[in-house]
Amino acid sequence: MKQILIIAEIFEGQIRQVTWELVAAAREIEISCSQKQNPPDIHIIVPADEPTHLAEKISKQTGMDVIGLQIPELKTYTSEIYIDCLGRLIKKMNPTHILAAHTSQGRDFAPGLALKLGAASIPGVSRIRADGDELVYSRPVFENTRIMLVRPNPDRPVVLTLMPGMFKPDIPRVEKQGRVDIRKISFDSASGDKGRIRHRKIIKKSCENQALKGAKIIVAAGRGVGEKENFELISRFANCFSSSALGASRPLVDMGWIGYEHQVGITGTTVAPELYIACGISGSSQHIAGMKDAEFVISINKNPNAPIFRHSDLCITEDVLEFIHAFLKKAAHIDIA
Amino acid sequence: MNRFDAHALEEALLLKEQKDVLISEPSFVDVVTAGPPGAEKIIQRAFGMGADRGYHIVTEDFGYISSFMTASRLSAVAKKTSYDLILTGIMSEDMMAGQTGPMLAGIMGFPCATGVVKTSLHFNDNSIEVEREMENGFRDCLLIRLPAVLTIQAGINIPRYPCLSNMLAANKKQIITLAAADLFLEPIREREFCVGMEDPEKTRSGQVLEGSLSDKAGQVFAFLRKKDLI
Repeated sequence: MKQILIIAEIFEGQIRQVTWELVAAAREIEISCSQKQNPPDIHIIVPADEPTHLAEKISKQTGMDVIGLQIPELKTYTSEIYIDCLGRLIKKMNPTHILAAHTSQGRDFAPGLALKLGAASIPGVSRIRADGDELVYSRPVFENTRIMLVRPNPDRPVVLTLMPGMFKPDIPRVEKQGRVDIRKISFDSASGDKGRIRHRKIIKKSCENQALKGAKIIVAAGRGVGEKENFELISRFANCFSSSALGASRPLVDMGWIGYEHQVGITGTTVAPELYIACGISGSSQHIAGMKDAEFVISINKNPNAPIFRHSDLCITEDVLEFIHAFLKKAAHIDIA
Repeated sequence: MNRFDAHALEEALLLKEQKDVLISEPSFVDVVTAGPPGAEKIIQRAFGMGADRGYHIVTEDFGYISSFMTASRLSAVAKKTSYDLILTGIMSEDMMAGQTGPMLAGIMGFPCATGVVKTSLHFNDNSIEVEREMENGFRDCLLIRLPAVLTIQAGINIPRYPCLSNMLAANKKQIITLAAADLFLEPIREREFCVGMEDPEKTRSGQVLEGSLSDKAGQVFAFLRKKDLI
């Protein structure tokens, strides 16, 4: 029988949205195997220093059994505490599947946890499919241009981190509340003291850009603009619209060409404009997750295989600078630019 | 060289330069890669940037190689020297797994922080202060006791270009090669397998505009006009 463990994502004492997506993914696994065998046993683990309240809330919302893993030393997340405490708990439970979020937190502890459990480890899963009696996991590779299908060795448990936004949380089952079981476990530092990773603080680099967040039209630039100096052309293009905001993909911000407040994506600002024009953006998964709610997407990229085209309504396979020059010429005729 | 690895090497060189100013005892930056014959070109480039020594673990297997396999192989070199700090890129550009660093840390028994965008060495208490990138502009600030593994995110620095004097010196440097097959007595068993590749699904219609450059510009202009967006 399959036994699935979900590791709830807790940030600053709050349950993160992605936790419900993990529950949805666990249900997909449940459905795919319940036709053939006993339904799997599903538990949600909530690690916290005081987990009771969070555990109750999650069991009410999902109807699933929840283990509140009380770790007195866990004031704030560190990979060291998670890997040690979750590792010891999970070893005793002997599950087949362990689900965590493919977020800055999940990506940080899941590989070390898999190693400790001797488990297979599949990161960044975007889809789960049944293939005969077994499950096959899809994950984007090659800068998002291909999907790799991965199958774990069936003689081991598997740790999966699931890409946020890919599994739709379903309507909660409310017919019954699941069982809540609080288990206390103390962090056992390998170095025999308080541990080698000390959490100092959480800092907010910069606020989400409200101008970008509320913009009706966003003109966003990516690596295809080539040089910093070409931003001037992108700005002229953006100025064709009566009201627009300038966005950028992560590499341009990393190179210091434009401020962080312009970054569109999971690590920047998540946007939902009426029109999104992607100028020379290839389309990393973190960028696409940040603009997927746009009403209409136009993409300009000279590479016909750019991943952004799969997430666009209108695709223009041209060099972005040449296209904008041509566009400005058309606009000049009508004298609005 | 993988883009993120270039950032990791640059950060190692910057830390070494900082340390050399303050502490008389010299420090070294070693570069290790596990890859097929030909991968030594990456080490040559690393020498050009300023790396001191290079190890090439020569792999003969093709197709999918798991992060666990790569981390195990790298650990064979890492265990030979008592490194204070091991830096990797946050992920490879091809497999995008981001697991080699944290798994290497697990094998070595070192603490690990992923997605590091800022470092600062604390010489007096043998530790390093780092900022990890999280979602929505948050950063996690940690103090980690050495030895440790950090996986480096882009944006932390701007990798230098190889310089001529280093390139000339690189020609005299020997790359230490090890055969992956000789590293372990028992062969390592893969824990998961690649069973196929496919194209990603489309989430939108993706109408491709046809015609000359000028035609396409005209079509987009007309479309935006019709929608009253311009």
